[in-house]
Amino acid sequence: MKISARFLLTFAVVAAATIAALSQGKVPGLRGNASTGGPRTAWGAPDLQGIWNTNTFVPLERPAQYGTRATMTEDEHAKALAELQERNKRPGRDSRDVGGQPGLGTEKDVARAYNEFWFGDKPARLSYRTSMIVDPQDGRIPPLTPEAAKRIADKREFLAALLQGTSGGRPGPISPRRNETSPDYNLDRVNRADGPEDRGGPERCFGEGVPVVLGTGTFGGVMQVVQSPGSVSIYYDVGQGSGYAWVVPITNRPHLPASVRLYRGDPIGHWENDTLVVDITNFSDETNFHGARQNLHLVEKIKRVNANTLSVQFTAEDPTTWTRPWTAVQELEKADEKTTLVLEGGCHEGNYGLMGLLINTRAAEKAFREGKGPDPATQDNATGGGDN
Amino acid sequence: METRSIWRGAFLAVGAVAVALAVSSIRMTGQGSTRDGRMPDGRPNLNGIWQAMNTANWDLLPHAVRPAVAQPGVYANHPVLAAPVLALGSVGLVPAGPGVVEGNEIPYKAEAAAMKRDNAEHWLDRDPEVRCYMPGIPRAMYMPYPFQITQSAGKIQMVFAYANASRTIFLEDAPKPPADKWMGHSVGHWEGSTLVVHVTNFNDRTWLSRSGDFHSDALDVVERLTPITSDALRYEVTLTDPNVYTRPWKMSMVLYRQLEESPTLMDFRCLEFVEEPFLGHLRKNQLVKHWEGDTIVLDVTRRVPEGDKKYER
Amino acid sequence: MRKIVLTLSAGLVVAAAAVPARAHHAFAAEFDAKQPVKFEKAVVTKMEWTNPHSWIHVDVTMPDGHKEAWAIEAGTPNVLFRRGFTKDALKPGTAIVIDGYRAKDGSHRANGRNLTLPGGQTLFLGSSGTGAPEEKR
Repeated sequence: MKISARFLLTFAVVAAATIAALSQGKVPGLRGNASTGGPRTAWGAPDLQGIWNTNTFVPLERPAQYGTRATMTEDEHAKALAELQERNKRPGRDSRDVGGQPGLGTEKDVARAYNEFWFGDKPARLSYRTSMIVDPQDGRIPPLTPEAAKRIADKREFLAALLQGTSGGRPGPISPRRNETSPDYNLDRVNRADGPEDRGGPERCFGEGVPVVLGTGTFGGVMQVVQSPGSVSIYYDVGQGSGYAWVVPITNRPHLPASVRLYRGDPIGHWENDTLVVDITNFSDETNFHGARQNLHLVEKIKRVNANTLSVQFTAEDPTTWTRPWTAVQELEKADEKTTLVLEGGCHEGNYGLMGLLINTRAAEKAFREGKGPDPATQDNATGGGDN
Repeated sequence: METRSIWRGAFLAVGAVAVALAVSSIRMTGQGSTRDGRMPDGRPNLNGIWQAMNTANWDLLPHAVRPAVAQPGVYANHPVLAAPVLALGSVGLVPAGPGVVEGNEIPYKAEAAAMKRDNAEHWLDRDPEVRCYMPGIPRAMYMPYPFQITQSAGKIQMVFAYANASRTIFLEDAPKPPADKWMGHSVGHWEGSTLVVHVTNFNDRTWLSRSGDFHSDALDVVERLTPITSDALRYEVTLTDPNVYTRPWKMSMVLYRQLEESPTLMDFRCLEFVEEPFLGHLRKNQLVKHWEGDTIVLDVTRRVPEGDKKYER
Repeated sequence: MRKIVLTLSAGLVVAAAAVPARAHHAFAAEFDAKQPVKFEKAVVTKMEWTNPHSWIHVDVTMPDGHKEAWAIEAGTPNVLFRRGFTKDALKPGTAIVIDGYRAKDGSHRANGRNLTLPGGQTLFLGSSGTGAPEEKR
């Protein structure tokens, strides 16, 4: 075959055009278009790395007064900020009063555990965004399906039955439902401690689930991202040692079979231009995300907006829970590498609390059997903590 | 002729790009490929899922096959499987291994050596691994479960399948840790192709094996990871702890890369499952009481220790 | 019928929408409201900086003069670290005042409902010479 100049020219032009066209698309590793600023890694991918947190408060759901507006006016912001500052002044756990009366010696005072100091600083900055939820238009979680409404109502009735006849529940005799198994895989705080399954996820040190919405300020938590061509390794330091490590593989593989259910689901990632898209399915029933259990399908989109901002968006979908999907966006700020602590998660290792809870419930039952103490079933050991 | 050469040029161009793409896809979609042993900064590519293939987690020293929990048999030096593992048969045995310790000796001080023997006898009650606690370093590196390395220029993140333990190796801007950590605090640097990691700030809660090997919170670890090929690393560890050992000592082994097409790190989430062994004795009504096989019947009695001992984790 | 179902869903949406407080350990199940304790003379022997709750071990001088060893459950150490304290912050020998509730099983364990220094300042917040840098932000 003769190689003519025309052949070579055509080859070069078509090759260049093909490469340019394909680099707009999903092939990992190829240089994406650099039009959206933000740093790049040494191999040309958008650089999501760093330690990220937020010091600006945005509610997840939009307060009704803002309607379909995503942004507050100056006046609205000034008013909302003043309200936030008022709320920040509330004594919270520092108060020893319960319902306006001295609370020393009440179950609710015990439930507050310790004082506000142990909960970090209150948020001082307020965003102009009216909600993290950007879809649906009203900025609120969509309605539950009838099926989900029923299962959530059934669980609430079970919880209420176990509080019946105590200071934290409705009047009435102690319910025979105290002998029943929970109607769902329990993750709530139940007024019972027959065994570990009666306790909530945090009490059993299950750790934070997926997705993570960071809180605001010193106790809000941080997200650390380390990146390579084939994986994005995220570490969340949140809560009381409830953080976890999560590796998102950049891969074309399909999801694991539906028979495999995982606490943090099965994440698979790919790049769409400058956005890391993470598709997560295969959740187990040990999870509860605003009412969605194992059928949750989550799509996270993470993008380096600029040098100091990381946008983390998730779309939550579960036709057995919500009537339509919903999407929320949290914008995170870059935190100083040297001074921002990323602390070791670890809760199970120090979980005296769960052990103490069971030991002392058995002790209270024994005291009752021996006529030395009240019937634990008549006590409210579930509500309380925080402001109430 | 001219038109044909234009078409030929076009097809060949698309074909060439496709081949180039396929090659670079292989290079980039994997966690690190066998063909691409180097990162853009010239360092070895440690990205991927790795696992040790030895019996170090059972016993760091050379050992023959033995029961995981033993009782004396007919002959004192030929123990048999004890009750906790009896029904498991061969699955209840510790496999043989040539050991990973240089000189085949861990230089314990006298009282520490006695402590190790005591630990080994009571390993079911004491080994933090049995409780699904974080395993510490170096143990996490040679447990029989994989771990995933994500390597960037400033940090190397290791996530272990076992109990979702993890650590960040700081290559620059290392912060100062405010307190001890189960997994220690790792600061690393490159010496040519060797990653050298200095790990400090341990607590005293982790073990080094299922044979009772332990340390104090003065433990100081230096690790060296050197590629043998792009899919195998030599892993050498020097341990120093003046409270427990008479001198520094060293272990050495190989770590192997998973080469499946889409290696996936799946959490070894043991937390929920260890509630029954470690909190089951505090249930209102006992759950695990009785088990029957064809030739073995087991009745389980739980016991709540007295006083403060009942709070011991 | 349909209308009723929709109303039920809407009502529940409002209820479900309130983001629940993190359901951490139910202290009321562990500690007894009817057994408050107040130790004016407690001296730190050791602090366990563990999650989810740190534990402060103290020697308490009782009214009749004899001493008892107690373990006091406090909050997550992560907040202390973020406030700039390190594990050297609460040295053995430090005098503290404990206001809390005793464990239901009568053991020498209590929660630190309110922990202060003898002068009344909140423990850690009011501590001086603890090695804490100036409070950030």
